[in-house]
Amino acid sequence: MNFFRGVMGGQTAGPQPSGAETIQKLCDRVASSTLLEDRRDAVRALKSLSKKYRMEVGTQAMDHLINILQTDRSDSEILGYALDTLYNVISNDEEEEQDENAQKQADDLGTQFTEKFIQDPEHITLLLTLLEEFDFHVRWPGVKLLTALLKNQGVQVQGIILVSPMGVSRLMDLLADSREVIRNDGLLLLQQLTKGNAAIQKIVAFENAFERLLDIITEEGSSDGGIVVEDCLLLLLNLLKNNSSNQNFFKEGSYIQRMKPWFEVGDDNSGWSAQKVTNLHLMLQLVRVMVSPVNSPGATASCQKCMYQCGLLQQLCTILMATGVPADILTETINTVSEVIRGSQVNQDYFTSVNAPSNPPRPAIVVLLMSMVNERQPFVLRCAVLYCFQCFLYKNQKGQGEIVATLLPSTIDANSISAGQLLCGGLFSADSLSNWCAAVALAHTLQDNLTQKEQLLRVQLATSLGKPPVSLLQQCTNILSQGSKVQTRVGLLMLLCTWISNCPIAVTHFLHNQDNVPFLTAQISENLGEDERLVQGLCALLLGICIYYNDNSLENYTKEKLKQLIEKRIGKENFVEKLGFITKHELYSRAALKPQPIFPSPEQMLFDHEFTRLVKELEGLITKAVHKSSEEEKKEEEVKKTLEQHDNIVTQYKELIREQDVQIQELKEKVSSMTTQTEQLQATVSQQQSQIQQHKDQYNILKLKLGKENQSQSSQGDTQVNGLQTEELAQLREELEELRRQQKLLQTQLSEKDVQIDSLVSSMAMLSCSNDFNFYFLHPLFVLFHYTISSS
Amino acid sequence: MAYAYLFKYIIIGDTGVGKSCLLLQFTDKRFQPVHDLTIGVEFGARMITIDGKQIKLQIWDTAGQESFRSITRSYYRGAAGALLVYDITRRDTFNHLTTWLEDARQHSNSNMVIMLIGNKSDLESRREVKKEEGEAFAREHGLIFMETSAKTASNVEEAFINTAKEIYEKIQEGVFDINNEANGIKIGPQHPTTNSPLSTSQGGQHAGGGCC
Ligand SMILES: Nc1nc2c(ncn2[C@@H]2O[C@H](COP(=O)(O)OP(=O)(O)OP(=O)(O)O)[C@@H](O)[C@H]2O)c(=O)[nH]1
Ligand SMILES: [Mg+2]
Repeated sequence: MNFFRGVMGGQTAGPQPSGAETIQKLCDRVASSTLLEDRRDAVRALKSLSKKYRMEVGTQAMDHLINILQTDRSDSEILGYALDTLYNVISNDEEEEQDENAQKQADDLGTQFTEKFIQDPEHITLLLTLLEEFDFHVRWPGVKLLTALLKNQGVQVQGIILVSPMGVSRLMDLLADSREVIRNDGLLLLQQLTKGNAAIQKIVAFENAFERLLDIITEEGSSDGGIVVEDCLLLLLNLLKNNSSNQNFFKEGSYIQRMKPWFEVGDDNSGWSAQKVTNLHLMLQLVRVMVSPVNSPGATASCQKCMYQCGLLQQLCTILMATGVPADILTETINTVSEVIRGSQVNQDYFTSVNAPSNPPRPAIVVLLMSMVNERQPFVLRCAVLYCFQCFLYKNQKGQGEIVATLLPSTIDANSISAGQLLCGGLFSADSLSNWCAAVALAHTLQDNLTQKEQLLRVQLATSLGKPPVSLLQQCTNILSQGSKVQTRVGLLMLLCTWISNCPIAVTHFLHNQDNVPFLTAQISENLGEDERLVQGLCALLLGICIYYNDNSLENYTKEKLKQLIEKRIGKENFVEKLGFITKHELYSRAALKPQPIFPSPEQMLFDHEFTRLVKELEGLITKAVHKSSEEEKKEEEVKKTLEQHDNIVTQYKELIREQDVQIQELKEKVSSMTTQTEQLQATVSQQQSQIQQHKDQYNILKLKLGKENQSQSSQGDTQVNGLQTEELAQLREELEELRRQQKLLQTQLSEKDVQIDSLVSSMAMLSCSNDFNFYFLHPLFVLFHYTISSS
Repeated sequence: MAYAYLFKYIIIGDTGVGKSCLLLQFTDKRFQPVHDLTIGVEFGARMITIDGKQIKLQIWDTAGQESFRSITRSYYRGAAGALLVYDITRRDTFNHLTTWLEDARQHSNSNMVIMLIGNKSDLESRREVKKEEGEAFAREHGLIFMETSAKTASNVEEAFINTAKEIYEKIQEGVFDINNEANGIKIGPQHPTTNSPLSTSQGGQHAGGGCC
């Protein structure tokens, strides 16, 4: 021990040993000392040097420390020191603020030592075994060490844990540890463990992680809880994000219902702590993960249904309308409500009915739209409202109709602000962001809805006093030609394209204004700057739609004439090139990715997701249409007609087959019920036959008897008939009469049955005309039928 | 939907024997003709009724491929029931049963109910394993046995339900510690009234859509 004190205390005279030397000596001690106490002291010393001499301890001592873990299993103290030391050399966390360079060096060290440690996968297995040790001094540093290893070399360490038997489930036990530090660090460990590894995520879920985590969240006070709640939520997110199997399990385990109380935030929402805001953010994210538009439609639909049934949606809407909620939580709640209602009729209907607690109460939709077209509201909030509105209208013809109706002359309610009014206001306001949002919102009321496209043509606007009203369609093109901001024009062009595509009447309306086509051709043909390229592309698209969906009802603007115009004024190639500007735009593919409108900055708010779908659908078609000559077009028209005819024929046949299917089904049912009837009849008949036979026998016997008696009577002479005999005879006669009556009755019954069978036979014969298999039932019946007739 | 009990199942057996098809037939009443190799493990669920009680089945369909074996083993311990499936048209899948059974017995809790299933009974003409052989194997190892067809749905309901019945009986007998979730059994929010005579209503209802 003298030596040891010397090293540690630095009390000896002479030159100071270098760090490396000291560590080497300690390592030797760890390796060679036979006394546990000595080894323990040496490891403790290594631990105390491990931060200052991280490099040296890691390089020289790692093998020795691992050895200790393997051999000194009975002494939790030495195990604890060894684990701590390993943690210090491997972890990058403990470092204080450093400059970038030093931090990078430290990270490299961590990675390097992690690689060294996991070179033998057995070391991880060893660590897993040590985690079963209940002693705090072992378990806690063990958890921290494994977390550090996962942080540095996640994929490899995950791989090793995954294949070690019960590896994951052992780590799950950490959540049940009554010592909070271990449970909480266990959470951090599981976060690292589940990162990006679906297989591990599933096992963790299988080991009842959802139940445990939700319990912890509740125990800790839900959104009012501390960082532990946050860690639980982060782990839940890891388990559910992009993992459809776990999402299904979460839903089937009725855990969605348990999210509802998270959002009961009460009336007083002032002074939320930063932690509460963080917690609620994560909670909202979890809801969104379950109903994300990228999930399979069926899965999302069933979660949406559940969220309505358990009242989660209603709870979210309460937050939406509550006062004092921090703006970013409000924004995220709007985004969440959006995805909970998207494409779900029931939820959309509910959302229509939500009112803001204003006086008089206003529909939530109206209140939200007010924010969308309000310049003073934060940009992200306005985007969220737009998203909400889009989700409300997605696959919601009824909702689309209701919004458009607020613009129609007959249904306008002058006394209250309507959605339609707000949208028109936004469309023509001085704020280009409002213009864009309103245009896109309006486009969504028309998506895949021919009726509303036509209805919207009826909308007339009063511009200024004394002047005649102008149609909404016309007003849009007017503003377009006034050369407003790019954002405004892009919005309006997207609206116009959506509006007139697939709607020849709208195309006609558009072309009817003599100024529109010249404006478009001018825009497309001019050589404008970079900024205008997108507008040019959209103009080309609009003109292309005018060709593609043209029903040739305007003589000046038939398909043919418009194409000639393009050739003359713009040039086919030039036109197609301009058209291509849309998809080549740097922001296009970004918008095509997801339905939610998110933009890094307001200027980048240019493309709408649904619109990118329309472009994808039309670009090719329009290019073809423009290139096609008129003969080709005619030919194609003919081909189309024949195809349609073929289609018709096929449809007719399909219809016929469907009818026949139904008939066959009915016939099958009839046949089986008749078979049972026949069997019943057969049984009755044979019963009756035997009865008849009995009666016949009795009758014969009686006849015989009677004959004999008559004979004997006649031989004895009439006079010999005594009173007794006459009586007997009369009785017999009566019996005979009775039997005859019975027989007659049976015979009528029989013939009735015959008739029945007859009709059955004939109806079955009819059936067998359409179905061969009936024959099998028919055949024995015929035999039976003839047999009964002949035997009766 | 409220349930009296929740049982966790696993489905194990060689690749291609029809494990995923059995699950799909049971949960969605559909058949999938193409072999969609299962990667790791997939989850499915359905509600059934036994003895007038709603029982939720949570089923983990595991990959049969050898390379996933270490992953799928993690699921044995927490399951109350296992469907061990072979393909009656492929003798090798029958021959591997012993390995599967050893593995299952080693990693699962001792009370796990194992149902042996000879699948693809619709392919009579290509049969390589006699029904009697399956029966004998089951008898020898104390398993319940059934031949099924995930294609025609023959016996599929029965396979899942009979396994549940067996677990249910074990609960009634007090064999299972139902308070330990690690056994793959959970008591539902609504407490069951115990010890009524065992009667099963077949044809459990779909839990696919609603969950509340
Ligand atoms: N004829 C018939 N084919 C079946 C039946 N069950 C499954 N199949 C077919 O067998 C093939 C494999 O079925 P899967 O259910 O995917 O097999 P698996 O056991 O899940 O395979 P792994 O996921 O690789 O473990 C598919 O082509 C199925 O269509 C059945 O009962 N009858
Ligand atoms: Mg499979």
